[in-house]
Amino acid sequence: MPVIKNEYQGRKPDEFRILLGLEGHSNARNIQTYIEKGNGYKALEKVLKGGMSPEDVINTVKASGLRGRGGAGFPTGLKWSFVPKGPGEKYLITNFDEGEPGTYKDCYISEVTPHSLVEGKIIASYAIGAQKSYIYIRGEFHNEIRWCAEAIKEAYAAGYLGENIMGSGFTHHMDVYSGAGAYICGEETGLISSLEGKKGQPKLKPPFPAVKGYLGKPTVVNNVESLAVVPWIIHNGPEAYKKFGTEKSPGTKLFNVSGPIARPGCYELPLGYPLMRFINEDCGGLIGGKKLKAIIPGGSSAPALTAKECENLTLDYESIAGAGSMLGSGAIIVIPEDVSMVSVLENLMDFYAHESCGQCTPCREGTGWLYKISKHILKGKGTKTDMDRMYSIANNMRGKTICVLSDAAADPARAIVTKFAHEFEPYLKG
Amino acid sequence: MSETVTLTIDGKEVTVPKGTSIIEATEILGVEIPRFCWHPGLSVAGVCRFCMVKIEGMPKLQIACNTTCTEGMKVITVSDEVKDAHKWALEFHLINHPLDCPICDQAGECELQNYYMKVGRYSSQMDEDKVLKPKALDVGDNLVLDTERCILCSRCVRFEDEVTKTSSLGIFNRGDHSIVGTFPNRKIQHNYSYNIVDICPVGAFTAKDFRFKCRVWFLNETKTICPGCSTGCNITLYEHKNQRQYYRLKPRKNMEVNGHWMCDEGRTMYEHLNATNRLAVPTIAGKHLSWNLLGKEFKQKLENVKGNADKVALVLTPQYTNEEYENILTSLKTILGNLPKIYVWRDSAEKIDDFDGILMRGDRNSNSKGLSQILEKHAAQAVTLSGDFSPLASSSANLVLVFGPEIEKSYSQFANEVTRFAELSNVIYFGTTLNPITKKFSLAIPTKVFAEKNGTFINFKGIPQKLKANPLVFPAMKGIEDIFAEIKA
Repeated sequence: MPVIKNEYQGRKPDEFRILLGLEGHSNARNIQTYIEKGNGYKALEKVLKGGMSPEDVINTVKASGLRGRGGAGFPTGLKWSFVPKGPGEKYLITNFDEGEPGTYKDCYISEVTPHSLVEGKIIASYAIGAQKSYIYIRGEFHNEIRWCAEAIKEAYAAGYLGENIMGSGFTHHMDVYSGAGAYICGEETGLISSLEGKKGQPKLKPPFPAVKGYLGKPTVVNNVESLAVVPWIIHNGPEAYKKFGTEKSPGTKLFNVSGPIARPGCYELPLGYPLMRFINEDCGGLIGGKKLKAIIPGGSSAPALTAKECENLTLDYESIAGAGSMLGSGAIIVIPEDVSMVSVLENLMDFYAHESCGQCTPCREGTGWLYKISKHILKGKGTKTDMDRMYSIANNMRGKTICVLSDAAADPARAIVTKFAHEFEPYLKG
Repeated sequence: MSETVTLTIDGKEVTVPKGTSIIEATEILGVEIPRFCWHPGLSVAGVCRFCMVKIEGMPKLQIACNTTCTEGMKVITVSDEVKDAHKWALEFHLINHPLDCPICDQAGECELQNYYMKVGRYSSQMDEDKVLKPKALDVGDNLVLDTERCILCSRCVRFEDEVTKTSSLGIFNRGDHSIVGTFPNRKIQHNYSYNIVDICPVGAFTAKDFRFKCRVWFLNETKTICPGCSTGCNITLYEHKNQRQYYRLKPRKNMEVNGHWMCDEGRTMYEHLNATNRLAVPTIAGKHLSWNLLGKEFKQKLENVKGNADKVALVLTPQYTNEEYENILTSLKTILGNLPKIYVWRDSAEKIDDFDGILMRGDRNSNSKGLSQILEKHAAQAVTLSGDFSPLASSSANLVLVFGPEIEKSYSQFANEVTRFAELSNVIYFGTTLNPITKKFSLAIPTKVFAEKNGTFINFKGIPQKLKANPLVFPAMKGIEDIFAEIKA
């Protein structure tokens, strides 16, 4: 059963803080603060000096049940174990593209505790045997790029990065790479293409990046949050981590709340936390006493849920998947009663049509087509057939392409067209 | 570990080497899975998402081009689910296509059209405005690009990257505004550009040489061999069904010789076939001679030197078929009593061992190997004339028979060198092209071009390849074999 403390109110650092322990500290990003107040680099010391083998690290992370925080929720330890053992060039890449509309948790991590990410990356690189790692970061994130680069510089100066770290014989180098800001570069193979200097387009799988990734070498791509939590897990042990969250979704997760609510922002919550309590109590409910119409629970790719569907949901992978949506990146978008779902649909479709890389035909043509029809309907020129057409286009875009951008556009469209069909009627000609 | 795997496709069992993709396996079986981006000569892109098949045990449909066959795999290429997927994939390809088939050169050999008839046949659901993109772009010496017709299969981009390694093309922009194009200040300027037109499944790339000239359904296809160099690429030659006019040629797959490609220079090998430039009738001392009288005149000239084979010079060029060389040598031996002196005329500037790394060889003659084999068989000693014609001039021959090159442009000094023969007396010249000099020969005899011959060329590797004859452009024309047969009778 989920461990939910009734007194947990979200914003003040308390015992549920795993990642955001330094939140509110005046000098949080400094390496000294991290070392003194946040048990900084203790985990790295434990790994490198305490005689933990790479397998031990992987097994610890596996035992913690940590699931990738980028959106798909793939077990992080398992992902690491796919990398071929033995010597050879390998890479660890941090996915800091954070393009999913509604999400700003990775930025927040770099603002509050960039050293968690750096330390997590060194440990993960040790586990998979990577000599070099990159932080692939969205080009628009000027401050975050600076913060990450400063943290890396500090870590080099303190001897946590470079040749023969802490005398362990492990050598690791780290760099920040800034992308040009494309949603598709958040897809791991698209990110790898971009990092290689090519157009950011997903690559055909197989081969998977764990076998043939960046520059054709075994590569692991992890989300910022997944890596930043690794030092805590190593330092406190997997059992301590599993005390948070549910059995299948252990640990805490950062949630971003946006929309017309009293206290929007980034919250760290144990997984399994009740959604409506979170919205109404921790975030202070909707402003102006507005009524809730729908919630997009996991970034714009997650199908919208009606207010009724949200009533008994808890914030964990299984519960939200059970309701036909997904936890995704944990970006909760709150839609009040006075926002038309037709305009929500048009807005979403505009985004996906703009961001489709254009490689696979169903996505390239389908996203544009859905956008045009939704625009058409919003202008009051649509007909009932357009609704059916949108549904069948979306159905035929799903699962047909190299990456899941196509599904990410199709699923919200299907959800809105079916669940909120009544809202379209005033817009239709007949 | 075994080296092959056995799987079933639509219930038919097939055994393929390990690592074969499903689409390659279906090719072996002769089952056609619709495809746009996959091409056997290029890497797998997997972007058109057209070649969807059902694999038992997999929840979603898979693309056949990037799925490797495994032991016991069961593939279904015809089911309602698969058919529906094909239909939708085609519809996605067509929603922004301009459908300008009536003015498109690809019409008739367009894969969008063909697949619409095979797997489409739906009524379009597209009511929105189409995306407009640049049209009629000049992207190189030989190519015109229409990005609206393009379906972004990326075959051309991969061809530039993988075959010619020139990388002049890329896909720009994103989503449904993606366009294929050349990089700034780059054009497609290499000797293999027409292959891009061939592999383009739609009318996006068209050939400057062919566009707006002829509808493809008026063309007959003949499978023959390119005479442009010693590689001997396998080609299909396109001739108008009703007019005696050649329009183009395209490569034909032969993995031992040319793979899937051929060079642009080879593509011009249809130009000299058409009547405009051809030597149509024999001339005697500059005056027309009817084909009926030719045998008599030719016989007369040979009779005059009968028994004096050493007073006859025979000049050969390596552009005739094995059968023709054989015929020439045996006939002359019979008529003259012995073999005449033999000279092989070659281009003075040629670099025989040159190779461009893809297909084209420095030896621009189609049958050098065949000629040397036949000469060897007849134990004939040949003198090579390459720039220096003094051996011939000093031979003081009473009669010189010259079998000139069919493709005159492969002789860099042709115009100069052919006058050297005109300086000699009593020259019988066999050639294909009309030029002022032919009138100076005592007898000029038109010969058939490669497209009108059944015969053999032996390429540089020693592979003998058969030519296939088309109907004659000049119906009254007689071939070398006919002329010799007539005078021997």
